[in-house]
Amino acid sequence: MKLKFTLLFLITLSFSYAQQEFTPDENQELLGIYEHLDEYIPDDLVFTNENGEEVNLVSMIDKPTILVLVYYTCPGICSPLLDGVADVIGKAEIELGKDYQVLTVSFNEKETYELAKSKKKNYVSQIKREVDESHWHWMVGDSINIARLCNSVGFKFKREGDDFIHAATIMILSPEAKITRYLYGTYFLPFDVKMAVAEAAQGKSGPTINKVLNYCFSYDPEGKKYVFNITKVSATIIIVFALGLLLYLIFSKRKKIHHKTV
Amino acid sequence: MSWLVTEDHKRIALMYFYAISGFFIVAFCLGLLMRLELIAPGRQLLDPQIYNQVFTLHGVIMIFLFIIPGIPAVFGNFSLPMLIGAPDVAFPKLNLLSWYLYVLGGLLALSTLLFGEGPADTGWTFYAPYSVKTGTNVSIAVLAAFILGFSSILTGLNFLVTMHRMRAPGMTWFKMPLFPWALYATSWIQVLATPVVGITLMMIIAERTLGIGLFDPALGGDPVLYQHLFWIYSHPAVYIMVLPAMGIVSEIIPVFVKKSIFGYKVIVYSSLAIAFIGYFVWGHHMYTSGMSGEARIIFSILTFLVSIPSAIKVFNWVSTLYKGSIDVKPPFLYALAFIFQFTIGGLTGLVVGALAADIHVHDTYFVVGHFHYVMFGGTGFAFLGAIHFWYSKIWGRNYNIKWANIGFAILFIGFNLVYFPMLVLGMMGMPRRYYDYLPEFTLSNQVSTVGSWIMAIGLFIVIVNLIAGRKGPKASSNPWGSVTLDWTHTESPPSLYNFKEIPTVTRGPYDYRDYEDYIKENHKN
Repeated sequence: MKLKFTLLFLITLSFSYAQQEFTPDENQELLGIYEHLDEYIPDDLVFTNENGEEVNLVSMIDKPTILVLVYYTCPGICSPLLDGVADVIGKAEIELGKDYQVLTVSFNEKETYELAKSKKKNYVSQIKREVDESHWHWMVGDSINIARLCNSVGFKFKREGDDFIHAATIMILSPEAKITRYLYGTYFLPFDVKMAVAEAAQGKSGPTINKVLNYCFSYDPEGKKYVFNITKVSATIIIVFALGLLLYLIFSKRKKIHHKTV
Repeated sequence: MSWLVTEDHKRIALMYFYAISGFFIVAFCLGLLMRLELIAPGRQLLDPQIYNQVFTLHGVIMIFLFIIPGIPAVFGNFSLPMLIGAPDVAFPKLNLLSWYLYVLGGLLALSTLLFGEGPADTGWTFYAPYSVKTGTNVSIAVLAAFILGFSSILTGLNFLVTMHRMRAPGMTWFKMPLFPWALYATSWIQVLATPVVGITLMMIIAERTLGIGLFDPALGGDPVLYQHLFWIYSHPAVYIMVLPAMGIVSEIIPVFVKKSIFGYKVIVYSSLAIAFIGYFVWGHHMYTSGMSGEARIIFSILTFLVSIPSAIKVFNWVSTLYKGSIDVKPPFLYALAFIFQFTIGGLTGLVVGALAADIHVHDTYFVVGHFHYVMFGGTGFAFLGAIHFWYSKIWGRNYNIKWANIGFAILFIGFNLVYFPMLVLGMMGMPRRYYDYLPEFTLSNQVSTVGSWIMAIGLFIVIVNLIAGRKGPKASSNPWGSVTLDWTHTESPPSLYNFKEIPTVTRGPYDYRDYEDYIKENHKN
């Protein structure tokens, strides 16, 4: 009996120390965000802004900058992401244009600056306070510049027909165009953004904290049922055991205590 | 050497005491380190990742190695048999096994420091799915918690049987002192709730090592299920932490007031009520986790209910003081500090228990301040009160009372300087678990850090004074003039089976009528 317990214990122990990490799907490696914290954006990237002017991207970055990579005809996650950005611009204590600016860049090289302009109008109207909209830039560019920008920030996407598979995130750049933080998801807490901008202003980078929360949540009803069964069975055993103990202690006769006296 | 195989409850209690105190000091230093990091915005001396690991280790040690086992394993083991007139606990060998499991669990937890990517960085709650994915030594930390859980269950079981079977003749349930009653309620929680967390932690290990999708949504699991399972244990565990402390306070106060405790039966019932209602409030840790609105409202109402028995105890202790002949000695000071700090902790608990308010302060420093007021300000101070109370019983000698008072005063001031600013910071919106903060939070953080130094000085004085007391003057067998069996019928330190003969109980536990005659009479025997 003792030996069995010892063995069982040793097996559990060895599993714990073995630390086999489980990797769900290797295909996922090709997509998503690969963080390049503390690296710089190349200084020779050229994009076209919503007014049709060609500009050097890095020369525009003179204050902490929120970089948003989307494409304007996206049927999926980009709209909630841009809603989230417009929302946090309205809510954060920091002021657009004074403390920071926002740079939205399309990674679909087929899109035009006219489209960018109409999208800008749409989203600026959603901001729930008076802002200087000239500090929210909406850019389009060619495939080489797009690829170099996306690679430099570790943003991996994949074309599927007319659309793209990609992740939702915003990146914070310091005034020197250094990547200082990634914030994942489509909804941003004003506090997180304020903190990230404050850090970027000093060129400090911060680690990503809640990346894991933003994986798409899809659970398997079959598996869940299985887990629930485990919990039900264990709960029943525990309660029956405890009740049994209580009844035994109350109803069985008290043995006489034998003890030595010193 | 004879200590390591001893079956004497008093020696086992002392072995627990040394081990638990050692772990406490380690975790206390980690806490000081965190406060030092937070002395100014930005990075001072800890990397963000290291900071995450430090607060996790601080939490794991403090919760699983200090606060949960602390009072039951040390003072429960030491005093419970004497308080109910028993020669030992019901299963002395099992008691020794619990100690070994405790030490094994503790060493496993510390071993995470030494290899791989270091200690877990998940926080003491090991929330899935992050705990399933992180590369740090989560499995070991979880296994350590699992083993410690077993130690806790066995201790609980042991106490339950002891109290049912081994009370001295004449000691009916309602003649039993209140510390045993508190342990009785606690033991049921240990036996019923701890297996749940054991199973949950095993599920995490299964998920990490075998890739079974239980909690990680990427594998088809449900992370909210983890939180439910975890808190079904861990909220009752909060009462494992605080009920014995309340028992200690109920034991100390009548002795230094020389008066029967006010509302004895109500205190008993309130202990049982806390243990019972405590099972149904776990959801208040999860208001922001995505439960349904109805569930959140119900959990909020139940949370308010659990505050009633706690408040009853506070009122009863205060009423006991009324018209008593109060003798202010160190244990009594700790009991008073408990009442003061537990009240702050309890009232801020209502703030976080209220659904609407919690949405705002969830995961802020308000919560950190709140639970430190309950855990450290409550249970931690009760632990120190207990060691000052039973010191002469344990070692047969006295510590220096003046230095004990000075140490207490500094500790008390330091404690409140550390944690009160946290309540304010939380209200201002500073989130917890960050190594960094915005510049507007600087002043309060600096007050808190300076407070941590004062608290450390206070604790240092207390510890040195207690160690020096081992060489202090010999103590009489009942220096505080208590009427419970542990003081009236045993020597200091007590002999192997405590009593020359098992006493027959005729008086209530806190009957201070003619107590001087009663003590003298028994002393002659």
